[in-house]
Amino acid sequence: MGCDIVTVSTDTEFVHKAWQENEKELAQVRYRMGADPSGKLARLFGIYDEDTGLALRGTFMINPDGILLNAETNYYNLGRNIDELLRKFKANLYMSRKTSEVCPSKWKEEGDKTLAPSAEMVGRVHEALEG
Amino acid sequence: MPETAGTGLKLGQKVPDFQIKTYEPTRRDFGTFRLSDQLARKRWTILFFYPADFTFV
Repeated sequence: MGCDIVTVSTDTEFVHKAWQENEKELAQVRYRMGADPSGKLARLFGIYDEDTGLALRGTFMINPDGILLNAETNYYNLGRNIDELLRKFKANLYMSRKTSEVCPSKWKEEGDKTLAPSAEMVGRVHEALEG
Repeated sequence: MPETAGTGLKLGQKVPDFQIKTYEPTRRDFGTFRLSDQLARKRWTILFFYPADFTFV
């Protein structure tokens, strides 16, 4: 899909290697595992916890022009929903090709109803979605 | 406590170039990820931060 996933934690690249090679749950991992032991990258994205020296569960989507389009952060104890992340990525990808359309809250994938905002639609979004 | 709920950057902002060391399972070797490489190859990037290896997702 023209997208590269990079996981990042404050562990070093050596710990990533040890973890990926030992944990059977990670045997199929193909993405790059980033090391941010100084916390510099986590601080750049505003998710570094100074008390623990760890990064929070943040996900950030950057388009091919380097623009940050999405940010989602959870606290330590809440895992992210991968389906929702995929949905958001697919929506971003779709809208990068169809720049006059927006994806409403029920949009899941290409082919689902989108909106083309205009002055006529003001106050008539219901009709636009149902029509 | 973390100062922000993320991001230190604003949405719609151009992310400054950065690089980080990586472990790459496909090559079983270490490498370097650079945002500028992604932009040169016209690729999307998803950064997925998590607290620590050897813990439970």
